[in-house]
Amino acid sequence: MESNIEETTPSFDPSKNYDEDTLAQQREIEKEIAATQSMVSQLYTFDEIVEEYSQEDAIYRQKIEDLKSRFKNLRKTRGDGNCFYRAFGFAYLETLLSNGKEYKRFFDIAQKSKDELVSLGFPQFTLEDFHDTFMDVVKMVEKPGTTDALLEAFNDGGLSDYFVVYLRLLVSGHLQQNADLYVYFIDGERTVKEFCSQEVEPMGKESDHIHIVSLTKALQVPICVEYMDREGDKCNSFTFNPFEGSADAADATPVFTLLYRPGHYDILYPL
Amino acid sequence: MTTPARRRLMRDFKRLQEDPPAGVSGAPSDNNIMLWNAVIFGPHDTPFEDGTFKLTIEFTEEYPNKPPTVRFISKMFHPNVYADGSICLDILQNRWSPTYDVSAILTSIQSLLHDPNPNSPANYEAAQLYRETRREYEKKVAAIVQESWNDDDDEDDDEGEEEENNILNLMELDNVITNLMLPLFQSLLDEPNPNSPANNLAAKLYQENRREYEKKVKVIVEESWIFIGEV
Repeated sequence: MESNIEETTPSFDPSKNYDEDTLAQQREIEKEIAATQSMVSQLYTFDEIVEEYSQEDAIYRQKIEDLKSRFKNLRKTRGDGNCFYRAFGFAYLETLLSNGKEYKRFFDIAQKSKDELVSLGFPQFTLEDFHDTFMDVVKMVEKPGTTDALLEAFNDGGLSDYFVVYLRLLVSGHLQQNADLYVYFIDGERTVKEFCSQEVEPMGKESDHIHIVSLTKALQVPICVEYMDREGDKCNSFTFNPFEGSADAADATPVFTLLYRPGHYDILYPL
Repeated sequence: MTTPARRRLMRDFKRLQEDPPAGVSGAPSDNNIMLWNAVIFGPHDTPFEDGTFKLTIEFTEEYPNKPPTVRFISKMFHPNVYADGSICLDILQNRWSPTYDVSAILTSIQSLLHDPNPNSPANYEAAQLYRETRREYEKKVAAIVQESWNDDDDEDDDEGEEEENNILNLMELDNVITNLMLPLFQSLLDEPNPNSPANNLAAKLYQENRREYEKKVKVIVEESWIFIGEV
């Protein structure tokens, strides 16, 4: 019997672990991406990226023109599934370099967040490791300065990836704390906790609307996203307002703007 | 050079020693902190009870952002363990969280022994027996429990396998020393018994020239650090 099965389907061996091959292949792709893209890039002008971003597509070309009329530069992030977190982290900390008051507010939230996550059941031992590194990076923008050191930190795997891990944990924590609210926005028959362990906490899992809503709410940071999709002739901009529904709703001026092209986030700098 | 992965693995090791979970143990191999040997004791009230199952855990520099590769070295009969010893467990694949450490990995595998998931089988026979003929399943597991004790003195006529066995023996020895007998050895380090010398020079110096003895010990203390910092 068994040998018959093998003859008819010679390519599949049920006792072999194919996951490892898949993982190995995935690692190769990741290595290639890591070799060609920095985690957070230097500043680019739109003229420098127009070919790459529009690829002979008239609609995208038109939308780049639209961006050009409102934004001056763009910073690329590595397409490794962590781009939203890395773009958010870098863009936000960059604004704190020149905003001491906001820094103080954020520092307190960040400092307190560790105990909140521990109380949600995250293991203290490992959480501390990530939190310590996260705070080390945050402290880099305590005093006004240039972005050079920050850019270097965000391209140092040890710091940058740990920073991303911690942002993911903040998103997971916020979703779990408000599980009764978010459970309706999760597809598949999954609990919020299951969703977090499948779609939020593992590195490289891409971000959706729900992740962005959570992070902006967890940190109380309003942001704007310019959507460069195929509809219309201008980018659709959308503000994620964490204060929505509260008395402060009107004050929500986006702190920074990200550019979304299907599957990827970069950072935009206004004129 | 110390990297985030190595730094974190040292922390994992320290925690595993200071706060060891019941029924599992693990330690980096002698000269490579990226390759660990571990033992999981079969959990009580399961057919695996009393088994001592050896595993290897192989880390990459991406740890803890990416999971390590974990493999049973001891023969295993379990619905979620492949023929080559690799394990089908979601937290080691698409549900990996960087907040898991070695301790969490080993206890998760331990609970997998407790609660197999026959819906994602890596060993079809084991999954089928587990579902349909539990008695037969338990009999097969009992056999590998027995085998798990014999890993070191198994004589095999097949030459290739014999070589493999020698590697197992070494690994086993390493495991036994680092994990199981450590408390015994620790007290031996405290109070040598110079009357049954295994190293005549050390025994002589210990008895007659304590200063010289301490000097020699200091040298090997420093040597013992080398693998930690620079692998």
